[in-house]
Amino acid sequence: MKKTAENRIKDLFLKHSYPPVEVIIPILEKSGRGEQELSRQLYDTYVHLAIEIKEILGLKDKNMKTLVKVWGIITSFEGIKIQPIELDDSRFSFSVADCPMLHVGKDIPLNVKSKFCDLICTSAGKALLDTILSPYRGTLTWDKALIKGAGKCTITFESVKDR
Amino acid sequence: MSHLKNSLFLFSVFLIAVGIIFILAWLYATEYTSYADMKTALTTTTAVFGTLLGIITAGLMFTQGKFSELSSELGEKSPDYLADVLSLEKIQSIETHFLTLRKAFSQLAATTTITEEKNLYERISAKTSSMFVNFAVLLNLKLKQQGLLDTGLLVSEMDSNLYKVYEKERKSIKKEWQLFNIIRKIISTWEAPASFLTVKSSMNSGLQADLKSSISILKLKESVDKSSTNIRSEVTKTLSDLSDEISEISKRLHEDRIPQLLSQMEQAGAIRGKYFYLAVIFITAPLLINLLILPQLTEATAAFFKPIISITSSLSVMGVMFLLLYIHKILNV
Repeated sequence: MKKTAENRIKDLFLKHSYPPVEVIIPILEKSGRGEQELSRQLYDTYVHLAIEIKEILGLKDKNMKTLVKVWGIITSFEGIKIQPIELDDSRFSFSVADCPMLHVGKDIPLNVKSKFCDLICTSAGKALLDTILSPYRGTLTWDKALIKGAGKCTITFESVKDR
Repeated sequence: MSHLKNSLFLFSVFLIAVGIIFILAWLYATEYTSYADMKTALTTTTAVFGTLLGIITAGLMFTQGKFSELSSELGEKSPDYLADVLSLEKIQSIETHFLTLRKAFSQLAATTTITEEKNLYERISAKTSSMFVNFAVLLNLKLKQQGLLDTGLLVSEMDSNLYKVYEKERKSIKKEWQLFNIIRKIISTWEAPASFLTVKSSMNSGLQADLKSSISILKLKESVDKSSTNIRSEVTKTLSDLSDEISEISKRLHEDRIPQLLSQMEQAGAIRGKYFYLAVIFITAPLLINLLILPQLTEATAAFFKPIISITSSLSVMGVMFLLLYIHKILNV
């Protein structure tokens, strides 16, 4: 019996997992080491996820629409609800009201949360941009509003036009 | 937890129903002015209760038939599961893996000082113990089916609390098909849908996902402390073996549509059980009261019976609403 695309993606998320951030951040904070390894694990995981989701769904275009589709699937399987703000050929902006950093222990200082927020977003964003938009370049920006106590965090993918 | 929620729900429905009945009764009580009105109300509600009771009894017979049909369908499949899907070698191998995991994660939980990490390892340890118990129950059933004696080897690995759970599970299997409840529990503990990022869902995540998370953590910790290398290799190997073994069982279970059949059985069981008793209380009891009052109702006794007639009239309205709910439940079986 041939598996449906949904089941294949479900299996994919079981195959490629990374440590839960609410557990790993206190460990790395205590040891003061291991950040590079976390960054590498996250990058590898997202690269594999993006490549295989593209393959399962037959997405070949290297543009923002493909990135939106892949990102939509990743967030839905990760249980994150996103609210699109802007989408055009070069820019995809959305907000989230919940993110893994919010569930990191209250005793972890804000600067540590902020550092790991950068690490996670940079690794995941780079993986998606490298896998989906390459050879075109892109950027990912985030405002860290959630960990600062605001209700929503805004995240933006943007493709960069080479001169 | 869901049982508690159900009980609370039923209790609140009951309280609301009683409240509405008394308000309606109080309103109607002022409306009945003559003996003739009361006589008509009493005869009509008696007829309504009688009809409701008839329909509900027919529904019960239908549900009973459906329940028997499902139970025989599952009963036919169960020997095959015990004989082929759950081979003796497979159960023994799975149990050895769970013992290894339980030992490893109990040690990890004991040595870590970070609360979040400890919680994850303790959760894994608890789930592996639960899986161990469930497979021990299956082994016991299998040995019984083959007419062999249970050596008690697995029981010797249980502490007193686990043994109590084991005995409770074992005794809960009165019919052959009920072994599917244990298999379904095993599969849902193993592969509960997991979202990787939110804490709320990770509390309900499957053991498989928790083990993968722990492997990632141990891998990261290797860059800090090399001592976790051996444990990670052992857990990775064990997880891979268990995934192969349990996914075979899960695949077969889903191919045979066992989860759907069990869910239908549960619905049929609820209709045979709590819904039927609610019907008896809210329909049969007022019907009997009406039947007792009917011959006694005269112009002289009308004033005395007025409040009771009001209550049973209101109950007949509630009964019709209950019937709709009952039919809706039956249609879902």
